[in-house]
Amino acid sequence: MGDTNFAYYERLRNAGLEALAAARLTEAFENFDEAYDWAQEHGDSLLQDQAFCSRSAVAVELFPVDEPLARLRAILMRNQDSWSCRLAAYTIARIYELKKSCKKGLFYARIARDLSYQLGREDWIASSHNMMGNLLLAESFFDEAYAEYQEGLDRFETKDTVQRAILLENVGYCRVVQGEMKDGFRLLFESLRSLRRLQADGYQAYPHLSLCYAYMESGRWPQALRHGMRALALGKDRELQKNALYLLGETANLMGDPDRAHDFLLKLQQEHYPDAPHIVDFLMKVDVRQFINLKA
Amino acid sequence: MVQKIRQIQLVGHKIRQLRKQRRLTQTELAGKIGIQQSDLSRMEKGEYRVSLDTLFRILGEFDMGIGEFFDEMAQESFTPRDVSLVRQFNNLPPESQNEVQEFISFKRAQRTLEVPEPRAATPKHAANQGRER
Repeated sequence: MGDTNFAYYERLRNAGLEALAAARLTEAFENFDEAYDWAQEHGDSLLQDQAFCSRSAVAVELFPVDEPLARLRAILMRNQDSWSCRLAAYTIARIYELKKSCKKGLFYARIARDLSYQLGREDWIASSHNMMGNLLLAESFFDEAYAEYQEGLDRFETKDTVQRAILLENVGYCRVVQGEMKDGFRLLFESLRSLRRLQADGYQAYPHLSLCYAYMESGRWPQALRHGMRALALGKDRELQKNALYLLGETANLMGDPDRAHDFLLKLQQEHYPDAPHIVDFLMKVDVRQFINLKA
Repeated sequence: MVQKIRQIQLVGHKIRQLRKQRRLTQTELAGKIGIQQSDLSRMEKGEYRVSLDTLFRILGEFDMGIGEFFDEMAQESFTPRDVSLVRQFNNLPPESQNEVQEFISFKRAQRTLEVPEPRAATPKHAANQGRER
């Protein structure tokens, strides 16, 4: 493998990492995809695994894919390179998180965490704790999730990164569910401000959604509606859209505006649950705030 | 504004009750709604929160009118207003409590005379039905 060619691979990989750090996922994927093509043609098996892991880590965020699972598991079993193994374990955990198989996800997230400690990479230690927090939160283990998030946050004392801002949002939501409203608001606003500074527009919907929930739980309806509407406008993924419409409907209902509540809930039903017309009436009658986990 | 049912434990208790009525084990119901038995167990104890998708799958699984499900629950539930009323009642001297009971009896008798066929739905429920038509 010639130096010039390998330098090309490194440039692609670094461009991918830079795009990833700025939450430009499509751009990151294109760079990692080209790097993977190059590695297949010119690289050894270690480099091919490394490139495959990087490409897969971004692909799972963009496409509904789980075909990398088998190869990622194989990499984890046979590869001696901790860097690739950590990325493989983390990506498998993320795939299971997306598939809502949290218990399986936790198994791989623990491996990713242990490898991150071995490698001594603070950012990976943080993201592994964040992943474990997410999986525990989805399983309604709020205290345990908070402990993991806190471990992750401690690694990012002074850095303004998208990763830290996401972590702040997760821990903020967790605190609100735990009833620690003041702490929850502080963390959520810190997350939102950080994402604004980083111009990571795609991620801002999440702190807006959690702020909607926090304000709703605090009985501050106009603020809840404002943040819910921002989440709805900025968020693209279906889960976020569903939760935003539900929270907006619930808030409008609680503030005594049943017509507006009905409009939001009807939109939720028509766009996301077309075969369940009864849910509008159900949500108009029953307050399920304490039964719903926005991160499940 | 109509007081809404909120107690998570009560929702879990209701799910347990309906599951037993249908002779389903926790494992069977959990399998039908796509969660694990241990999660359903925690849900029935009020320790496990779910996504909107899972909530609607549970309700769909019981195959009964949502109104029926929660009208039953509403009769069993205590809202903060109910609790406040009971507290205030208990703080009254016995004579005053007797007066309140007599007044309630009077209002019930009056309602029976004035409204021969009691309305099944709450005003809010009725309004929603109107909108749907």
